[in-house]
Amino acid sequence: MSAADTAPAEDGPVTMMDYFMQLEYHELLCPVVRRYASQLLEGRLVGHKCPSCGLVYVPPRGYCPICVVETTDADEIVLADKGTVTNYTVVTPVQYYGQEETEPFVRASILLDGEGGMMNLQDIVDVPVDDVHVGMRVEAVWKPPGERNVDEISNRSWGSAEGCIDGWRPTGDPDVPAEQLRDKAF
Amino acid sequence: MECVLLRPVPEPPRTTHTIEFPYTRTLGPVIGPFLTGLRDQRILGARTPNGGVLVPPLEWDPATGEAIEPDLVEVGPGGTVETWAWVTQPSRKHPLDHPFAFALIRLDGASTGLLHAVDAGSMDQMRTGMRVTARWKDERIGHMTDVVFVPEAAA
Ligand SMILES: [Zn+2]
Repeated sequence: MSAADTAPAEDGPVTMMDYFMQLEYHELLCPVVRRYASQLLEGRLVGHKCPSCGLVYVPPRGYCPICVVETTDADEIVLADKGTVTNYTVVTPVQYYGQEETEPFVRASILLDGEGGMMNLQDIVDVPVDDVHVGMRVEAVWKPPGERNVDEISNRSWGSAEGCIDGWRPTGDPDVPAEQLRDKAF
Repeated sequence: MECVLLRPVPEPPRTTHTIEFPYTRTLGPVIGPFLTGLRDQRILGARTPNGGVLVPPLEWDPATGEAIEPDLVEVGPGGTVETWAWVTQPSRKHPLDHPFAFALIRLDGASTGLLHAVDAGSMDQMRTGMRVTARWKDERIGHMTDVVFVPEAAA
């Protein structure tokens, strides 16, 4: 919406007014997130594995909130860029101001193979929305190295790889039974 | 002697988050006509039952809670600066992109001060009690920023 959209008729009464509130925050990236972002640019997903409980955090947070222990570079592990959909939502976009999507799309939680780690709010691509399901096997679609950016990575980017991974596409491998994925949804 | 090369210290990476709330508001029976007036190069005030003139107008007299008289009256375009503060570094959202004064301006015919911008050029042109007058934008949309004030001498 711009001022022009609600501009009054040249001579009619003014009855409405744009009230455009905008809050702009600047934040410094903490070292743990900087490290995660630099690895993303290299085409690697990294996380921290809690030395106490073994849970894997991606992006790393620098601590395990369950055990209340610090995690460091020594706890960093390289994660698989393949995984399984554990939960998903089909979003039907309402065309409010700023909405760029026009067609229904999926946001999914993905449990990474091997050591684990949960990626949340991930885009599922190359498959009709109606075909997405729990247990579906997927792999990351990386942007070419020269086209990657970490502009959207912030200290609160839980599971974000935006700017480096375009989404996740089905591998065609057999599904993982849903019962094996309990307690693995975000 | 050993030669030490100083390298520039890189800026710590930072991100920007922008949160937007694009509201549209209805203006009601008093502010609507007031902003319509600004679009038409007229500044309107509200008369209170005890003879005051509120600029900008309100729907109720803040002193007594009584309703204002139904018809608005024109004030200004000249007025007197009652108090002011100089803005040396305007922010992106200020009404002017160069240094200016925020001032309480008692417009001729009003009994309250209107908070608005005075485009005075430099701080030494400002003083309490000075005369200012309205300078209208060419393209007016019915908004407070349709007008700024300038020293009467410069008008
Ligand atoms: Zn833990």
